[in-house]
Amino acid sequence: MKPARRISADTWLIIAFLLPTLAFLIFLIWLPFIQGIWMSFHNWPLIGEPKWKGLENYRDFLAADYFWVVIKSTIFYSFSTALQLGMALVAALALNQKFIPLKQVWRGVMIMPYAMPPVVTGAIWLYMLDPNMGMVMYYLQKFGIISQPIYWASDATWAKIVITLVASWTFWPFMFLIILAQLQAIPESYYELAEVYGANLWQRFRTVTLPHIKGAMLTAVIIRIVWNLAKIDQPFQLTGGGPGYETSVLSILTYRFAYLSGNFGMAFTVGIFLVLFTFLLIGPFLKKFQAQITQARR
Amino acid sequence: MAVTTDRSTLAQKILAYGGLLFALLIVLVPYSYVALSAFKPPGEIFEVKWLPDEWSLDAWRYAIESVEFHKYILNSFFAGLGAAAIALIIAVPGGYIFGRKKFKGKEPLFYIIILALLFPFVLLIVPLTISWIKVGLYDTMFGLWLSYQVFIIPFGLWILRGFFEELPASLEECAMVYGCTQFQAFYRVMLPLAKPVVVSLLFLSFLIGWNDFLFSNMLTTGEGPRTASVIIYIMAVGGERVEWEVLMVLTLIAGIPPVVLYILAQRQLMKTFR
Repeated sequence: MKPARRISADTWLIIAFLLPTLAFLIFLIWLPFIQGIWMSFHNWPLIGEPKWKGLENYRDFLAADYFWVVIKSTIFYSFSTALQLGMALVAALALNQKFIPLKQVWRGVMIMPYAMPPVVTGAIWLYMLDPNMGMVMYYLQKFGIISQPIYWASDATWAKIVITLVASWTFWPFMFLIILAQLQAIPESYYELAEVYGANLWQRFRTVTLPHIKGAMLTAVIIRIVWNLAKIDQPFQLTGGGPGYETSVLSILTYRFAYLSGNFGMAFTVGIFLVLFTFLLIGPFLKKFQAQITQARR
Repeated sequence: MAVTTDRSTLAQKILAYGGLLFALLIVLVPYSYVALSAFKPPGEIFEVKWLPDEWSLDAWRYAIESVEFHKYILNSFFAGLGAAAIALIIAVPGGYIFGRKKFKGKEPLFYIIILALLFPFVLLIVPLTISWIKVGLYDTMFGLWLSYQVFIIPFGLWILRGFFEELPASLEECAMVYGCTQFQAFYRVMLPLAKPVVVSLLFLSFLIGWNDFLFSNMLTTGEGPRTASVIIYIMAVGGERVEWEVLMVLTLIAGIPPVVLYILAQRQLMKTFR
């Protein structure tokens, strides 16, 4: 009979099509992850024999005088996601208005910071923010906002502020694109109906716009929290994690241990803390996400 | 189009134009300053002014002749191309199955993929570096291509699954009624319909290969396939004296291609994220 043959063809296709995905998951994600955990129990140099250390790496990191400095800077840097969301909302809502001309052009301009390599935008801001010859300090002084240039790279607070602001400037278009795509999918008739009921601008936003983009916003925020904490090309370039450890977000510290000190065991130990921190931070959002999905299914 | 009454209030207009202007200014001011700085002669780069007194192509010449930036740009190009090709092979079939087929263990398997999406992938650089040295992938282009997949595939599977899922339910069956095999139904019917999301995948994965610094820097040496990002990083923080006018030329050369690609892919991208 036919059905039996079709089922087997179906199964065959499923297996063949899933093979690359499974190979990826096993060999590029989970095996390396397990291998990394194994490495974190060692003193593991780039070249040469690893030495068993047990839990010493973990103890050392927890006891290190820079432990809380690193955690604090990671928390500070996480606020970049909120800034990105704010910026994305403003730009997406503005661009979605009917009366705005040349929408595609503006959208193309706004995507620029995100499309370019982060080290490119990082280099641009290193130039713009240079204390002696940068344009930002020049105008801040000219307008009397500051009396002398800020040497932000050697100041703990300013260094944190700079990497957070520059990251926000660079990555907001990701959320902007997602939110804008959702906004454009809202039927015009919803707004007309809201108008008939006499809803003002704020009420229209709250009752029509917001419910429509909430799901996409939540997804975007979760993804961005993870990526902001992991994609650290740019802050690493801006400050190298310094002064001291002041801007060594957990992932920068991982990179510092691996790339600069060649201490791969310690690097992965810090990486484990990054995983824990990330899931702690996205936990509440994931819960909301789950609630939304179950609500949608009902 | 018929006459539509513009019901937007004045407040709405002020807010919208204000927001638009703000967003455009914070993007355009730095970029225009940088674009102009790339034409300043070395002596003028230390003064803050918009237009150079004397327009100069010295920095551009230096970028090609001394830095040999075109070599690294070519490396970046291949890095992106390979990353996109491998992503296509892995994510398109996988995303199709997750979006269209039912099989045992589908839900838990997809949760594992989502977990990978929420995973701070940067820490995988640690074991991958060691493994790549062992298996001979260190300092090779192929090694880079594989490592980029860590960033690409989880997100790629996520958007592909979503897109395939939303296509009408009985498409494959119809195709098979007309004599297509399972594979043909995928290849001839589903794949063309999924064009926006496949283009988005290609665009995003090319961008990751082109833009990446962390893996490219860690997994290559001076003799290997260094990409443009690594050179920009080294030029910006490496030396005692930074040649800013040259660096600004490099940022323009490495920064403009992704923007052009975005403009080409934007319609497909908007369809993907809807």
